[in-house]
Parts: sequence; structure tokens; C-alpha cells
Amino acid sequence: MKRNWLRAILGGLSFGTMLFVFEACYGTPQDNAGFDVLVQGKVKSKATGQAIKGIKVSAVYSPQFQYTDDQGKFSFYVYTGGTFALKFQDTDSIQNGTYQSKDTTLYNARDTVFVDVALENN
Amino acid sequence: MIRYIKREIFRGFKKHETRVHPLNYLFWECTSRCNLNCLHCGSDCTKDSSYDDMPLADFLSALDTIPHTSERITVVLTGGEPLLRSDIEQCGMEIRKRGMHWSMVSNGYLYDEQKHIALLNAGMGALTFSLDGLEENHNWLRNAKNSFSKADRAIDLAVKSPRLNFDVVTCVNQRNLTELPAIYDYLIQKGVKAWRLFTIVPIGRARHNPDLFLADQQLKEVMDFIKTRRKLSLIDVKFSCEGFVGTYENQVRNGFFFCRAGINIGSILIDGSISACPNIDRSFAQGDIYHDNFFDTWQSKFKPFRDRGWTKTGQCKKCSDYNDCLGNGMHYWHGEKENVLVCHNEKIKCASKN
Repeated sequence: MKRNWLRAILGGLSFGTMLFVFEACYGTPQDNAGFDVLVQGKVKSKATGQAIKGIKVSAVYSPQFQYTDDQGKFSFYVYTGGTFALKFQDTDSIQNGTYQSKDTTLYNARDTVFVDVALENN
Repeated sequence: MIRYIKREIFRGFKKHETRVHPLNYLFWECTSRCNLNCLHCGSDCTKDSSYDDMPLADFLSALDTIPHTSERITVVLTGGEPLLRSDIEQCGMEIRKRGMHWSMVSNGYLYDEQKHIALLNAGMGALTFSLDGLEENHNWLRNAKNSFSKADRAIDLAVKSPRLNFDVVTCVNQRNLTELPAIYDYLIQKGVKAWRLFTIVPIGRARHNPDLFLADQQLKEVMDFIKTRRKLSLIDVKFSCEGFVGTYENQVRNGFFFCRAGINIGSILIDGSISACPNIDRSFAQGDIYHDNFFDTWQSKFKPFRDRGWTKTGQCKKCSDYNDCLGNGMHYWHGEKENVLVCHNEKIKCASKN
């Protein structure tokens, strides 16, 4: 802790926080934003309770999405300030059944959130 | 006077940072395969590498020796070309799940929308693409006729993502030197926020091609270009951390020169070697993950990186700027290490005299 204080004081006196934000030669900038949340979950049928494969899970206002796997599971990082929305869509026509879309908003999400969703049949 | 005080405090900061050596930045040379055959490659990478890609489990075993601390660590996936790994998303996801951040250096050739989304899903937070000129010059240096259009597409995807701390790097050489203003305009028009300029190190394939290296006056031109464009603040253009640039210090970068190799920057190389930046001579390796505990090695070894006194030889021996430079970047010491390969400071001084 003492070392971190000394670092901060010396760094602040000379140039500020940029002393701790550097990129190596032939490296990348550091990841300074880091406000991301791991969203994990499972999509199943409300009628049967069975897992649904191939449901498109999208982060609203973002290009990110993922399709559920054989067990209806999905898992991806979402960039967020804490509140974000997910959209669940059946986009594979009649494959794996047909289901209604659903939107879910998550508030004050941090680190990891688990979202289990049941979709109604069309 | 203020500049003098800042420099003195910065010297203190460097000493303290060297003593504490917190690991903030870890390169993983996850493959040495590459889909391009660039003229300036310092790694001599080819499509067929003599090394297999390092298994993810091997890397994670080393990563798991790092204790959970308040230090923010970014793992930088590099190569070769990291996108040649079919499990690149899984690699990123496993790193991120361990609470570390991750990023990637790429030539952008294989970076399409599908890959972009998959990598964001895996928690990628920073990204660097190479762009070594406009179409003709980029394709020439990258030795591939479509490489500019591929890089152009990749840049378009990256700039649209608010998640990514993204920049473009350019290796300045004889051919693209006069093109820098045009590249600058191109990047601004694309919406790129940050641009880093490098010179090419005479190692690997590059050492056989003198057209890649800048004369003294040309290096000074690069410094002047960066200095004037930085004042406009249209893009965060800077010189890389590759070397000490004398009178241009604190004018072409955010702060003074500080080679953090082995101080804040470590690496796990393709053969398991533990070192710092991948372009540093492999003889500096401090151990290997197959025989040594990675974090113990980081904590207890790395003496040549943390005590640079051995660099006070050759032309550095009597240099009046040695205390600020400490032998330039570590990657400029190769072979017998009797002299630094390139002294930016001397080149700039020579150019200023003429």
C-alpha cells in the first residue's frame, strides 16, 4: 500500500496518471476502460423447460451477439456502465422450434451476471 | 526550470518503479506463425513456424502463478499473427475470467466483422493494427497486395467500438517518410484517435534491407512532424517508447523516455521463455515456464533489466545523457552487447549540427 502511495505521488508530481498508462514497443495501449460485465445464462422453453439451441442473444446498442449452444447456454462480455439490455431472438426459422422474442434490462451489473430466460412458443 | 524539476522527479519515479517492478503488462507470444512475410519483420516470422503454438493450458498455468493484487495487468497477445490461432477467443476469455485485461497486436488481415464481435465477446479491451503507409507503400512493406484493403477494413471496425482502446502503429522507413502527412489525414478521416510511429530495428529480416532505416536528418524530420502535429491535438500522435530522443524528450511522447522492459513489462515467449518485450534479444531470457515458476522468476530475477549499469559501454560509456537514457531501449542490445545498435539521441544531435 505504501509503495502505491509513493508511486502515485511521484507520478502525479511529474506527469499524472499517464505514467501508469503506457504501451510497450510493438505492444498495444493498455485496457483502461474495463467497464465490462460477463453475462452468462441459459435460454429454455417456457412450455417444456427444455434448453433451446440457436437463440440469438444480443447486447442492445452494441454489435455484440452470440447464439446459444446445444445446452441453451451463452456467455460473453458486455461493455457497460452498469445498466444494459439484452435481446433474445429466435432467428433460425423453424429449426429448434419457434419462439417469441424477449428483452431484458439489467441494472447495476458488475463483474458477472447470470441471466436465465424462458421463451414462449409462437 | 519547471522542465528541470519534472525531469528530476521523473528520475525518482523511474528509480522507485524499478525497485518495486510491478508487473502491469505481459506479452504472450502465442504463435510464431504469420500469414504475411513483411520485409521489416524483427522476428523472421513465416507461415510455417518451427514452433507449435503454445497450448493455452501451458500459458494459463504460468498466469495462475501471479497473485491477485490491486495491480492492473494487461496481457498482450502477440506473435506472429495471433489471429491464426483458432482458439484466440477462448484464450482471451480465460485471461479475462482471471480478472486480467487483454489486448492484441495484429496486422488486421484476418480481422473481419465476425472476428471483431467474437473478440469483443471474449472481453478484448485494447487493440493495435499496423499500417505502414497508404496502399502502395503498405502493401510493399507487408509484402502482400491486399494487405492495405484488409487493414483499412479492420480499422473501420475497431474505431466503431467504444470498448476498445485502439491505436494504429506505423514503421517509418525511406519510402513512407514523405507520406506521413497523407497517412495522418487518412487516419483522422477514418476516426482513429491514436497513432504511434516507430523506426525499424536492424534485426531479423530487416537487417538485410538498408532502405528500411532512416538517416539522421530523416529521424529528425519524423520528430519535427510528430512535435508539430501533437500541437494540433487532432489525433494522439506520438513516437514509440523505443528510444531516448534528447532534445525532443517530453515533446513527442506523453512524458520522458522510460524503457520499462523487465520493470513493468514481462513476456512469455513461444518456447516458454520468460523475458520482457518479444523484440529483445532472446539471450536475456530469465527462465522458462516449463521449469520455473513464472511469478517467482519475475520477482527475483530480471537483474539485467533492473540494473542497466552494464549498458554503460561502447558509445554509452561517456554519454552525458546516460542517466536519462540508460542505454536506450533494451531491444537495441544484441549479440555480444558491446554497443547499442542505434542511438536516436546521437542521430538527432548529428542532424541538428548539419
